[in-house]
Amino acid sequence: MIELLSRRRNRAAPIVPARSVAGRTLLLLIAIMTFLSAVTLGGVVLVQKSAIAWSADVGREVTIQIRPVEGEVMDSNLRTAVSLAEATPGVASARALSLDENRKLIEPWLGTGLDLSAIDVPRLVVVELSDPADADIAKLAEDLKAVKGASLDTHAAWRQQLNTMAGTIVVSGLLVLALIVVATVLAVIFATRGTMASNREIVDVLHFIGASNSFIAGEFQGRFLAIGLRGGVIGGLCAILFFFIVGAAVGNVAPEAAGAQLGVFFGRFALGIDGIIGIAAMIPVIAAMTAITSRLTVRRFLTQIS
Amino acid sequence: MMPLPLIRRESALIEFTDVGLRYGEGPEILKDLSFRVEPGTFHFLTGPSGSGKTSLLRLLLLSLKPTRGRITMFGQDVSRLDRDRLLQMRRHIGIVFQEFRLLDHLTTFENVALPLRVLGQPEADYRSNVEELLTWVGLGTRMDAHPPLLSGGEKQRAAIARAVIARPELLLADEPTGNVDPDLSERLVHLFAELNRSGTTIILATHELPLLDKFDYPRMVLNGGRVAIHD
Repeated sequence: MIELLSRRRNRAAPIVPARSVAGRTLLLLIAIMTFLSAVTLGGVVLVQKSAIAWSADVGREVTIQIRPVEGEVMDSNLRTAVSLAEATPGVASARALSLDENRKLIEPWLGTGLDLSAIDVPRLVVVELSDPADADIAKLAEDLKAVKGASLDTHAAWRQQLNTMAGTIVVSGLLVLALIVVATVLAVIFATRGTMASNREIVDVLHFIGASNSFIAGEFQGRFLAIGLRGGVIGGLCAILFFFIVGAAVGNVAPEAAGAQLGVFFGRFALGIDGIIGIAAMIPVIAAMTAITSRLTVRRFLTQIS
Repeated sequence: MMPLPLIRRESALIEFTDVGLRYGEGPEILKDLSFRVEPGTFHFLTGPSGSGKTSLLRLLLLSLKPTRGRITMFGQDVSRLDRDRLLQMRRHIGIVFQEFRLLDHLTTFENVALPLRVLGQPEADYRSNVEELLTWVGLGTRMDAHPPLLSGGEKQRAAIARAVIARPELLLADEPTGNVDPDLSERLVHLFAELNRSGTTIILATHELPLLDKFDYPRMVLNGGRVAIHD
């Protein structure tokens, strides 16, 4: 019994008791803030990754459009355009879309069962670039002047729009992230002030027995660091779980068409290892931010009362 | 405990010269206080309620600065000390309150050991000292009890033990007998007397005149903000 008591005394109770810190509320708040931050960060990562992938895909392709011109033979013009494209440096392949492929492209506008042989519609040549940086697009554009009715579309305007949209989403996400961080800091400040006010007796006693402000701040900081870590872990794990569930739902629950559409926008809706590392890195950041904020608030409080 | 630097042992432990104190723009609570307290002495501090006993103790505890005058403690002018030096000096002063001010979530042992824990000492170094002191004040069997389970007398003895565990040179007591019965009050003063015999300078504030009459120690009497010392 004596040994048991002695062992128990070896582990001195914390000077600031766990229950005296508004722990549960703050824990929940930090968990929610971490979750929101992680979801925002994950969303930003997904959009950015998708935008880069879209841009790269679109950038590897240019399209030659050949409009029907009276007196010109379309099939001949198509062959010429394909030849000119294939002779251009940096081009991997060039292929004229068949009438059937053309019909599928305009089906959304003109409906099904259309007989394109009765209508003069522009035809397309899809040109795949082996290396978009080295491809001599200017030469191809110049060469195509020899084909009546031909024009070259590099999708530059669309890519520009895509990049602008993705950039706007990323900046908005980062702004939301910054606001969440500010809100978290404010919440920690209020919680710390409340804790200090409700633990004034402990602070006074520590002062009377000769504790330095640094010692007292350290005692409180330890509590807030623990709360920040726990809240961060809970929020971060919930966010990773959220992305996992949404990714599985897109793959299995959403209708095929909707899933495919989401897939186009967000890939497989998977964060990837870098996204998970990003969310995991937020946990110590949130914990450190909580500890630092509380320490500064405690130091300020102690300076004010001493 | 670290020795105070530049201390002049031949000087008084405490010396007040024309000290005045007021809170904000209010009237002067303490006026022209001039007195000396030699090391190793025992003084009662008495006076009617509102005479400024607690304010004087707060000046002695270095938690207040005088509005005017000079306070010298441990041979140093306290007005010239920076925050760190004040903190260092405060560690040479023990304080006992009427309302005990023990931390309820800590055991009696942990409460008494708190000043040493604050100084960064490992428990293995101080455990036997704390246990010995608690036994000396009659709490040897109550070390693991939390304050809410202690009687008033036990709480005050624990508070006294906490005040002296770090071997302060000066022990201040603010109405330490205010919450205990007369018989226990007398025993507590005997305990302070024992501490004084071991070399600790003691200033004990009380307004219980019958208690003062039982002990032959000098009295510092505060009245109307002024002090008179009766040997």
